[in-house]
Amino acid sequence: MKTRIPAMFAGLALGGALLLSSVGAAAAVTPPPGSSGNNVCSAQAAAMKTGATIETARALGDCEIGRRFTTLAALSAKIAASKVLSPSDSAALQSEVASTKTGLTSLKATIDSETSLPALRADITKIAVDYRVYLLVAPQVHLVSAADGVIAAQARFADVNTKLAARIAAAKAAGKNTTTAQAALDAMNAAVATAISLAQPLPAKLLPLTPAQYNSGTAGPIVTSARAALGQARDQLKAAMASAKACREALK
Amino acid sequence: MNHQPSSATRLAAIVLLVGIAVVACGRPNGTAEDQPAGSTPAAQQSQADQAATDSAAPSSLTTDSAAPGDAATNSAAPAASPTPAATADPLDTQLSNIDSLLNGVNGSLSGSDTSGGE
Repeated sequence: MKTRIPAMFAGLALGGALLLSSVGAAAAVTPPPGSSGNNVCSAQAAAMKTGATIETARALGDCEIGRRFTTLAALSAKIAASKVLSPSDSAALQSEVASTKTGLTSLKATIDSETSLPALRADITKIAVDYRVYLLVAPQVHLVSAADGVIAAQARFADVNTKLAARIAAAKAAGKNTTTAQAALDAMNAAVATAISLAQPLPAKLLPLTPAQYNSGTAGPIVTSARAALGQARDQLKAAMASAKACREALK
Repeated sequence: MNHQPSSATRLAAIVLLVGIAVVACGRPNGTAEDQPAGSTPAAQQSQADQAATDSAAPSSLTTDSAAPGDAATNSAAPAASPTPAATADPLDTQLSNIDSLLNGVNGSLSGSDTSGGE
């Protein structure tokens, strides 16, 4: 018995150590994926141009899909980390990223098992055309995030409005001239309202767009106009910020 | 019949005894039943003295607790100096938060403008 109790403690200590080491292993950072830039596959593209074989074509296809995986992972992380995306927009974007990844995974399997060079060429074309990761999916994530960011600013400006309005009321009660401050506050609220009206309809326009619509030429203009509208919305919010500061200064 | 206790039974008995001992030793300010049987009046007087000393501790703690007051006085000294530190406007924080939000919008807008060679 005397030897069993220390043995029990030793067992517990060993178990604890194993548990801690397994937790540490689980928390280990996954190695980062490869780069997603434009020229990542330039060597494979050059090899394909100088001597197109099944091997060079497959290498190019795998590389192009690989960099899209990297981009999709980054987009997914951006969506997950966003503090401004609405839950429904976040879910819709994550779903789109996931389905794009699934499709590309399937295409990679096709490319890896293809034995004809013309068929491989057709498969490689599909990487861009069928999924439009860079021309559609990435802009959708970024622009919907921007739109939701503008919309999220509304509540914060409402808070600022409450505080500034209270200060104006206090200044007025103290006999101060608050005309300039009130005008600045009105300008702030008008700019915020304009920004919101520009951003509010955009997620509903952007989220349903498909690669097929991009290829037929209908999605591109929507993306372009959404980008322009969000640029204007951002400028309106900047103007609102300036007005808020002007209002505060006028009350000093 | 063999009434020899098994090793599991013995282990359980030891664990029970150790548990009782731990509970008995760990009880704070033991009751009269916990007093040693041979406790003499002198020893009891000594314990009473100790208790009196212990009960005096809060007052000394009170004295000690005055120290933060001193510290507060000391920390108040800079505020009483001719150049007091400016108090932060709560609006600054809110406007700064909006500024961060705008930076995020900017980042998303610039991130949306890459073709990726498609």
